[in-house]
Amino acid sequence: MSNLMSQSTAVIVMNIRSLPRRLWMSLAMVFASAVVVAILLAFLAMAKGFEATMQSAGSDDVAFFMRTGSAAELNSSASREQVNLIENAPGILKDEQGPLVSPELYVIVDGVKKSTQQEANIPLRGLSQRGVDMRNGFTLTAGRMFTPGTDELIVGAGILREFDGFDLGQEIRFGKYTWKVVGVFSTGGNVFESELWADAKVIQNLYNRGSSYQTVRARIGSSDDLTAINEYLESEPRLTHEVQTESAYFATQGKSLEYMAIFGWVISSIMALGALAGALNTMYTSVSDRSMEIATLRAIGFSSLSAFIGTMVEAMTLAVIGSLVGALAAFIFFDGMNASTLGGSFTQVVFSFQLTSELFIQGITLALIIGFVSGFFPAWRAARVPVIVAFQSAR
Amino acid sequence: MKDLYLVYKNLTRKKMRLFLTTFAIFIAFLIFGAIMTLRGALNSGVEMSADNRLVVVHKTNFTNPLPYSYVNKTQAIEGVKQVTHANWFGGYYQEPANQVVTFAVEPESYLAVYPELVIEPEQRKAWLNNQASILVGERIALANGWKVGDRIPLSSNIFSHKEGGQTWDFVIEGIFRGAEQKTDTSYLLFHYKYFKETQSWGGDSIGWLILTTEDAAMNESVAKAIDNNFANSNAETDTSTEQAFNKAFIEQIGNIGLIIFGVVFMAFFTILIVVGNTMVLAIRERTAEIAVLKTLGFASIRIFKMVLIESCLLAFLGGLLGLGGAYLLIQGASENLARFLPNLVLDQNILLQALGYMLLLGLITGIAPAISALKLNIITAFNRG
Amino acid sequence: MSNQNLFELNQVAKRFTKGKETISIFQDLNMQIKDGDFLAIMGPSGSGKTTLLNLLGGVDQPTEGQITFDGQRIDNLSESQLAKWRANNIGFIFQFYNLMPMLNAARNVELPLLLTNLSRSERQKQVKIALELVGLSDRADHMPSEMSGGQQQRVAIARAVVSDPKFLLCDEPTGDLDRQTADEILQTLQLLNEKFGKTIVMVTHDPSAAKFAKQTVHLNKGEFVKAEELSA
Repeated sequence: MSNLMSQSTAVIVMNIRSLPRRLWMSLAMVFASAVVVAILLAFLAMAKGFEATMQSAGSDDVAFFMRTGSAAELNSSASREQVNLIENAPGILKDEQGPLVSPELYVIVDGVKKSTQQEANIPLRGLSQRGVDMRNGFTLTAGRMFTPGTDELIVGAGILREFDGFDLGQEIRFGKYTWKVVGVFSTGGNVFESELWADAKVIQNLYNRGSSYQTVRARIGSSDDLTAINEYLESEPRLTHEVQTESAYFATQGKSLEYMAIFGWVISSIMALGALAGALNTMYTSVSDRSMEIATLRAIGFSSLSAFIGTMVEAMTLAVIGSLVGALAAFIFFDGMNASTLGGSFTQVVFSFQLTSELFIQGITLALIIGFVSGFFPAWRAARVPVIVAFQSAR
Repeated sequence: MKDLYLVYKNLTRKKMRLFLTTFAIFIAFLIFGAIMTLRGALNSGVEMSADNRLVVVHKTNFTNPLPYSYVNKTQAIEGVKQVTHANWFGGYYQEPANQVVTFAVEPESYLAVYPELVIEPEQRKAWLNNQASILVGERIALANGWKVGDRIPLSSNIFSHKEGGQTWDFVIEGIFRGAEQKTDTSYLLFHYKYFKETQSWGGDSIGWLILTTEDAAMNESVAKAIDNNFANSNAETDTSTEQAFNKAFIEQIGNIGLIIFGVVFMAFFTILIVVGNTMVLAIRERTAEIAVLKTLGFASIRIFKMVLIESCLLAFLGGLLGLGGAYLLIQGASENLARFLPNLVLDQNILLQALGYMLLLGLITGIAPAISALKLNIITAFNRG
Repeated sequence: MSNQNLFELNQVAKRFTKGKETISIFQDLNMQIKDGDFLAIMGPSGSGKTTLLNLLGGVDQPTEGQITFDGQRIDNLSESQLAKWRANNIGFIFQFYNLMPMLNAARNVELPLLLTNLSRSERQKQVKIALELVGLSDRADHMPSEMSGGQQQRVAIARAVVSDPKFLLCDEPTGDLDRQTADEILQTLQLLNEKFGKTIVMVTHDPSAAKFAKQTVHLNKGEFVKAEELSA
């Protein structure tokens, strides 16, 4: 065994020493696996970033009410009467001012994207201080809270970053009405930062919503309380709503970019096949390049297994170097990259690419597969180089 | 070309390498063809828009409704030829994930404004006469396996039926095709009047207006006249050409679209670089043979051409196979993606671009070794051997 | 036998520059090769015999002096003119045969004919004749890797004569072969010289090979040491 080890080590060292002779071929293989890994990671980081932005928005102790079948906040509705009924649902926490419930409105307005200078959909959320208090991690990073009953609004940090005209103190026109930006808020990077917030009553007024709302959030003790709430909803014919935890709602929304991850895997797998063809070329060249050396070693007593191992190690090494380069490139170029796209509610979601260690592992696994396949067949050939080659004159 | 046999023999001398290289090029152009087609499908709304069609939406955002009275008011404006309107129904079939793009429209005027929707005359008549019927696009019908005469339940994630629930029962009276391959037929239409009468919300509002102008040159003045007409009302409008509207809509997908296409193009070029490197090295290996040919009296320029032809042949072999693969892939995917995307067409434009890249690949990978073959000094080549 | 000179070298000089140094291979070299001759050139390595061969074969050009072939100056031809001239007048035979590995014997022999205007069938006819001449008709379909060294060299000879050039240039044609095979090759060359009137120049360092030639010259440090007549 130790004999095989030392033999293989000798072959590996020999292979590495002869690498400069095949510099361009070897670099091509490193390059190919680097790009495959970088592309895979780009897609995965995109899907991951979007998912994280959504998921971190939801909390487990907030019950989220939507009209049955509406799928997204935008499509839901709840009349004043229905909101009152929800307030009476069991399990909802109360304080001295009454139940902790936040009926909210969700209006889509146009904003001008910095990147394209084109109009894109932004949600203008109408809520009250109660609703604001329900958002974990809410902080005002500049300015102050909007004053209820006025046409003031506060703007999410993501909107400020991606759209023109939302700076503190500026006035913005949506259709006929003018709003004033009095504050900038952060919610720790989640989807709420892609929103504008204003007083719900003012929005009802300006957008002809009468006294109706769209969704209702309510503070509950724990997600176990949902069972009782569900029973209540079913027994109350005037309510056409369904309830879930806020985190469950956003988890579903977060899946809407999951196709990106799938697309990423498909693209990089196909790419990997292409890269594999290049890598196999490299390794076959490497073996034919060294057939004299391999045969000579075999002639003086090295086992064919050591020739096999030597070639495998060379291929795996090149692939892994490539994957590290690719992962590093992906990290430099994509990690934290700001992006925005249409979310489930037909509005822009601002998010950042996230390259987690778990994704790194996926990338390196793919590279190892490339390395293994591209090493195996040429290594097989190397192991079978006949000793007699050593005695033929090389020209 | 007497030399073609030589070129062919050079190309096929190492079967494994030929296969691997061709395969890599195949993959590159498969990706290229598929992605360009996908991109073309996303942009087809912009490409296929008529140049005299305008879209009128609520100034705050196109998801906000407009009063029904705007239809007649707009029709009265000078330069306007034909106005029609549509409402977003938020439709889905059987389960919420299976979304079906559904518009409630005024049938006669809608078909007049969209002449590219082609229907059999009897089907057209049947649909116009039956208020509770739908007209279905060919692609969406194909995706769901619908035929004329089928009764289908269609649900809305926004509206409720007067008689309870959120599901409407419709009979399919007609299926429309596109006048052109790229015309979008992945949606369905039903009567606005029926929609108004059966939904519980009530109210007489429309989603947006679409109109044609007498002449595309009048677009700007008509758009201005409409917006001015509704200025300072409760529902101010924003009028733009269909093309601009579609473009803005596509761009809502945002820079992730840009990033994806960027990344995929990077992939395409990477494969080409890797393959090119192999091709260059493959020809380098033959320096001694080229020297022999030259000694025998083959002119340098002739060898130069042979090398270039060889690399171009290889590029076109893999590239055309890849495009063929992309074509088959698209044929297969087109039906499955009917719900999300308009028709996937690998059009002439993409074909020409791909051919251009193949030629470029062939020339770039061939030119370096071809030049060195051209300059190859027979004497030094022999001293190496 | 004609006494006309096929080749005439007049005051030929050849120098190479290597970095700052200039190396002189020949100075004032004069030489005549008669039509129908079979000349062996011998000499130690570094004597300039390969350079001489290159000059005669038109793959290299003299620094000074004139080279005339069949009454035509070739030292002042352009590269493409030289290529054409080589194709029309010279057959090459190399030490390591230099066959194209991806072509079979017949296709290898056909190569020089690609430089002519002959039709495919005419080319095939001539290839057949050339292969018969070297006794390899039955190997026409074989690849170089499937043939012995002697067979490969005979394919190379067939390639050299297929376009019927006046002049054959052989660079150590038997250097890679065993004695018996070498003798067979040399006999073939002799046959070409005597029966088909090819003028042959052969560079070799093997005295027994030189014996097959009509005359032998010795080259040393760029000068002919002594030319001795050999009785054929």
